[in-house]
Amino acid sequence: MRRLRIGLTLRIVAVLVVLGVAAFPLYWMLVTALSSNADLFAERPRLLPDFSQLGVFVEGLGDGKVAGWLLNSLLIAAGTTVLSIGLGIPLGYALSRFSFRGKALLTLVLLFTQMLPEALMVVPLFSLFRRFNLLDSLGGLILANVAFVLPIVALILKGAIDGIPRELEEAARVDGARPLAVLTRVNVPLIAPSIAATAVISFFHAWNEYVFAVTFIFTPEKQPASVGIANFIGELGTPIQTVMAVAFMFTLPAVAFYLFAQKYVVAGMTAGAVKG
Amino acid sequence: MTLLEQTKVPRSATRRRRSPLGSRWTPYLFLAPAALFVLVFQAIPLAQEIFLSFTRTTLLNPTRGRWVGLDNFVRIFGDEDFHRTLVTTFVYVIVCVVGAVGSGLAVALLLNRGFRGRGIARALITVPWAAPGIAVALIATWMLNAQYGIVNRFLNAVGLGVPGGAILDSPKYALPAVLATTIWQLFPFTSVVLLSALQSVPHDLTEAATMDGAGRWATFRVVTWQVIKPVVGLLALLMTIWSLRRFELIWLMTKGGPVGRTETLVIDLYAQAFESKELGSAAAIGMVGVVISLIVITGSRLVARAVAKENP
Amino acid sequence: MKKHRVRRSIVATSSIIGVAALLLGGCTADGGADGGVAKITFAASTFGDPGRGPLLTQWLEEFNKSQSEVQVTAAAVPYPTFGQTVLTQMGSGQGPDLIRFDMPEFEAASDAGLVAPLDDLVDVGKYTLLKQPDQFLVHDGVRHGIIFEASNYAMFYNADLIPKPPTTYEEFTATAKSLTKGDVFGLAFRQTEAEEAGVWQDIFNYVYGFGGKWSDGKNLTINSPDNLKGLQAYKDLYDAKVIPRGADAATFRRMFAEGKVGMELNNGGYVTATRGQNPNLKFSVAPIPFPVRSQGAILAPIVVNEASEEKEAAATFIRWALEPANQVKLQEILGASSVATVTERSAASLTKTPFLPVFDGLTESSLPQIVLGFEAKTPDIRKVVVQNVIAALQGQVDLKTALDRAQQQATELVK
Repeated sequence: MRRLRIGLTLRIVAVLVVLGVAAFPLYWMLVTALSSNADLFAERPRLLPDFSQLGVFVEGLGDGKVAGWLLNSLLIAAGTTVLSIGLGIPLGYALSRFSFRGKALLTLVLLFTQMLPEALMVVPLFSLFRRFNLLDSLGGLILANVAFVLPIVALILKGAIDGIPRELEEAARVDGARPLAVLTRVNVPLIAPSIAATAVISFFHAWNEYVFAVTFIFTPEKQPASVGIANFIGELGTPIQTVMAVAFMFTLPAVAFYLFAQKYVVAGMTAGAVKG
Repeated sequence: MTLLEQTKVPRSATRRRRSPLGSRWTPYLFLAPAALFVLVFQAIPLAQEIFLSFTRTTLLNPTRGRWVGLDNFVRIFGDEDFHRTLVTTFVYVIVCVVGAVGSGLAVALLLNRGFRGRGIARALITVPWAAPGIAVALIATWMLNAQYGIVNRFLNAVGLGVPGGAILDSPKYALPAVLATTIWQLFPFTSVVLLSALQSVPHDLTEAATMDGAGRWATFRVVTWQVIKPVVGLLALLMTIWSLRRFELIWLMTKGGPVGRTETLVIDLYAQAFESKELGSAAAIGMVGVVISLIVITGSRLVARAVAKENP
Repeated sequence: MKKHRVRRSIVATSSIIGVAALLLGGCTADGGADGGVAKITFAASTFGDPGRGPLLTQWLEEFNKSQSEVQVTAAAVPYPTFGQTVLTQMGSGQGPDLIRFDMPEFEAASDAGLVAPLDDLVDVGKYTLLKQPDQFLVHDGVRHGIIFEASNYAMFYNADLIPKPPTTYEEFTATAKSLTKGDVFGLAFRQTEAEEAGVWQDIFNYVYGFGGKWSDGKNLTINSPDNLKGLQAYKDLYDAKVIPRGADAATFRRMFAEGKVGMELNNGGYVTATRGQNPNLKFSVAPIPFPVRSQGAILAPIVVNEASEEKEAAATFIRWALEPANQVKLQEILGASSVATVTERSAASLTKTPFLPVFDGLTESSLPQIVLGFEAKTPDIRKVVVQNVIAALQGQVDLKTALDRAQQQATELVK
């Protein structure tokens, strides 16, 4: 009995330690944002947030610049999500339900693209975008992001469609429904959880994306938050409190969205998902 | 359905018959938009990059490259700094894989026992994975700041301070610091995936093993490990690919410094392209990375196939 | 069946949004003239500086008010990524119409033919340009830029901590050492690879202040004995722990403004920014007390992008900026820097900033931070030198070996 209790206590302590390690950096972001200059540069650091400094968040949002960044990030992420799912569902369906020439090759190509680093593709994509007049536009950035998440979205959705019995489609086909209608009426509702998972994955990818955004966007007003925030590093004069406040505002929606959608994501991740 | 299984080539030959789902063009209609997308935004740029790797091209005049054959490859392979980059990449990948999978497994085993608040605990530990890489780099840099960083202050307080203070500027400690940050961001992912794998371990099997008098370790080895092995394999592959690709975190924390100690292939490639403005050698470095990834993928498929043959 | 229709409309909507995104991408990347007004952009890292940035933007507004056919907007590209961002754009025939460059990037860009020759666009004979800085902007008789800002390096010191500024190198190190205690550091300079351009600016003063130079005009002299002496001084100060190690410029300048750093070698452009961070800080400026009176200067030319479709409009802006009244205003905004032409310091600014003549007195002995004779290769040489010097700082190799290695690698590069 006693040994059991010690084991239990140890386990609780271990769980708490893990939680502390996981959460501390975000907590520290908040504490730093909410520190006065005196506390920040003092010899002993302040360990608790100083809520009298909450004004830093207002200040950070003050000139509309940060709000603009966050809005751009939101637009890019939403566009990427919609487009990659719109293209990924038919592709996943084709890979799951049909046998056709080049299927093996296509599957391999999709897998292969998962290994290409963005940094490698940034130069050729830059010249491609220049030709199509896609530089310095949120639309161009969306296209670049979709190119990178589409393969994994399609592969996850293929896996989900694989799990749907073909008999269900047969019934619809007897009703005379055409292939596209079968897909949208029968399969899409059944794979909704996987669609949700891929939505989260694409949204995250685009929300976090940095390399393309920093290279393809020139106009400061079109910058997403990832670039705006990264530019704080080494920029003269922006107080660290503001930097951390903005970074916190950038992190919070992602974490909140993630916690909200976690049920689906875990399912998607376990199904061989890739965050990208 | 895992990534490994998906890599298996479909046995279309045995199933080639007229699809009952429409005409033989139907599949192409479904996949055309997406395939076109992948072609335009992945295949063509990649082909262009392959071409670039055989040229001497400057960022300042990207359309006017000069064909130099294998020069770029000869040069990078003759460069000691590149050898160091390869070693660093290797170390970075190995430690990331072992660290992320190992810590993930430990945390998963910890959370696998039922206790009150497990749901909340599970949600909370996923926070690092959900945090954007940029924000992570920013807070990590600040926490590691030589004067005011909490990590240094703590280390100094307990008498373990890094001589000189600046962890990210120390050739000895920069890579460990970047690795720790990377693993911090990855362990939630591995632990959540492993946790759901653990939950699929049949209860009666572990119980039976315990009844037979097997110790905890033996039970784990004989029962649990056998069930989660494929998932561990998949995670190891994913971690390898991600680590080979990882850019933002390292770039924003150290830019590959100090003295190249955190320079992985991707960092080197980016610095070559945008700092040294040598698009040709950047592309050549990229090709080395692509070949390494190909070897990893092929190798993992071979391993998976061998394992499948052993226990059918 | 109604349910199905809803679903179908969802699919239809999402595909429409997808197509819209594609179209959106195609349509938003234009610019240039509309309605007879030429719209140009002016990229400069200084637009993001605390204190000076907003004033410079106001100065641009004055130009816009004075014009009916040209409108200029400011693009604040952050300093750490400025060269990379702007050069990438210019290399592919894009980018802002007007650019304020630092010298290394200016040299690389003009060598690659990315900068428009100004001879036909601006008649410089009409203005009395400051000769010393201006001579570096003409290559083989072709003018590629006009000085936007020229700023000499001097020693900034906290007047509360240091009543009497050091006048020799020995006093300098002694002061740095005696001030360093607790959370206060005697000195600060850049010493991390992440700030390559900044380290180059900082070590330049040590090399030239000890009689060294990067080249004799024909050959690189990176490992010359005088360079070694200067860089040894830099390393000694690093080793003496009188600087906040690992702190980047953003951090240690903030520390200087908070009174946590005693001295800093910096350029005149930073006077306004320091006041912006802490108006109550008592600081002053003296010449750098190194054996040889020779130091770096930030020369920042304004140039016209060769790829610009509005070169004439861009030149209109430069001509406006060169008008005497606008030069005076620009100088007041920039602080202790000088501008393209000879201007008088106003009595008011002399009262507010009594040390202005210190900066002006250094103009003759100040040099742009480029490698003479190898101007266009400066960014590459800079990378090699900085990496090797930092390797020595970090104790990886001794300084002599590091400089020998830098010399050899850089010679390889410029071959």
